[in-house]
Amino acid sequence: MRLAFDDVSYSYDGAKAAEKKGRRGKGAQREAAWGNAPDAAWALRNVTFAVEPGEFFGVAGHTGSGKSTLIQHMNGLVHPTCGRVTADGEDLAEKGVGARVRQRVGLVFQYPENQLFAATVYDDVAFGPRNMKLGADEVDRRVREAMALVGLSFDDLAERSPFDLSGGQQRRVAFAGVLAMEPEMLVLDEPVAGLDPLSRTDFLALIASFHTRGMTVVMVSHSMEDLAALADRILVLSEGRVFALGTPEEVFADGAGLRSVGLGAPAPEAFAASLREAGFSLPAALYDEATLAADIAAQLGAAGEQGGEGRG
Amino acid sequence: MGDRAIIGQYWPAESLVHAMDPRVKFLLSLGLMAAVFCAATPASLAVAALFVAAFYAASRIPLLQAVRALAPLLVLVVLTALLNVLFVQGGTVYFEFGIICISEKGIQSAAFIGCRLLLLLMGMSLLTLTTTTLDITAAFERLLAPAARIGVPAHELGMILGIALRFLPQFMTELGVIYRAQVSRGAHFNVNPFKGGVSTLTALMVPLFASAFRHAETLSAAMEARCYHGGAGRTRLVPLRLTWRDGVGTAAVLAMAAAIIIVNFL
Repeated sequence: MRLAFDDVSYSYDGAKAAEKKGRRGKGAQREAAWGNAPDAAWALRNVTFAVEPGEFFGVAGHTGSGKSTLIQHMNGLVHPTCGRVTADGEDLAEKGVGARVRQRVGLVFQYPENQLFAATVYDDVAFGPRNMKLGADEVDRRVREAMALVGLSFDDLAERSPFDLSGGQQRRVAFAGVLAMEPEMLVLDEPVAGLDPLSRTDFLALIASFHTRGMTVVMVSHSMEDLAALADRILVLSEGRVFALGTPEEVFADGAGLRSVGLGAPAPEAFAASLREAGFSLPAALYDEATLAADIAAQLGAAGEQGGEGRG
Repeated sequence: MGDRAIIGQYWPAESLVHAMDPRVKFLLSLGLMAAVFCAATPASLAVAALFVAAFYAASRIPLLQAVRALAPLLVLVVLTALLNVLFVQGGTVYFEFGIICISEKGIQSAAFIGCRLLLLLMGMSLLTLTTTTLDITAAFERLLAPAARIGVPAHELGMILGIALRFLPQFMTELGVIYRAQVSRGAHFNVNPFKGGVSTLTALMVPLFASAFRHAETLSAAMEARCYHGGAGRTRLVPLRLTWRDGVGTAAVLAMAAAIIIVNFL
């Protein structure tokens, strides 16, 4: 499914702000309208982009940059104040489209374990499929499959209360609850927030495995390292505007720009940038720890040989 | 959902009324309501309205904000007025249809009771508009202090009130998030509340209660970590102190009560 944002703006003041904007927003005045309506809280401003089928799409931005508002547009939970969001050409704001799209776009909120409610893990994971009015056999198949996908043992855990599980397991149950709806696109809001380093790695590997299975993944994160490692393209939001959109190489090339909106390039990339300033020649567009170490070692090796020759 | 102003939400500003002692404000708002109740004629009600308007002017609360704070309660005013129109009879009859009969006295009494109710609500919301919840609970606790001698847990009641008020907006926000999360999983909350409504409601209420218990545990641990041991010997960063403003306020409310009673007899 191709999910396209077309000049989307969103204000929590809703229709009132739209009216204001409509009145002031004619012609060249349009841009100025933002500054002229200080009491209208614009969470998104003229956002245009599209998530292509099968890609891993990263969304980054400082706190309050509109990330969470943006992803709630992706399954029609909120509708744009101006502009439109379309799924394969269908406008999500139209009657009935939102409910249908919600079965194809799975949205996992931040700290999803806080939304568990059922008496057993089985019932919680089955909540989505049952809401889709599927037969008992189909619900059962989906619950087993979803639990297997997130690495939970059906036999051990299905009949346990989700409230007795550890935090990491609870989050897996919450993931399974969304995966059981078998969405084509998975939207994750800070999926590894509040996890210890080991679980973090596990969860990121899990998310990468969803992507390799053919799911489109949209991941919101403020960890540039995670996005650099996983995403095909990254959207950087700042104060509700699109600040940058492109491959990790393109986005992280502008380290100073990222810092100006409260973000930093991933640690290896930032280190490479300061080494370049100190006279190292590091040609690759995007480094991770391993490639950077290899290139530094090669440079130091070459310098060492030169030094040795000088003395000899 | 969640972002709407709660009835009489605190409006920060620097004014005479804001700077008054919360205990005095608490008592004066009760006095103000009593005074409004004393108004028995339209003329004295007009005097009361003048005084309330003056108090609002002194508190520097924008008119729009005052109206917004009251908006959810206006239904009550309108309903009361309507009931009066329908049930109070007498004088010239303007309109009659079946059992519905609108008469002169009905309209008069509707206007009078409606205005009186509006003034009462405005008096009440003036307190919450100009006083932080922290100050209101402190005042509540202090005013209850004499009752503590006969075993009323004044400090604990104040603390409970304060915590409850503090967590209201928090739970509104959380309920909003839980609602959207369950809707994302295909839940329908507005289709038929009588058929299967209870089972979908658990999907909202269970996570909310779980979160309330979690907050309670964290909060009690945090309070103990800060050596909270009840009210005995507890000091305040900003002690409540009476100032000249409290004298002015008291005088104003007394003047209002006197004026209303005098106008009543004119």
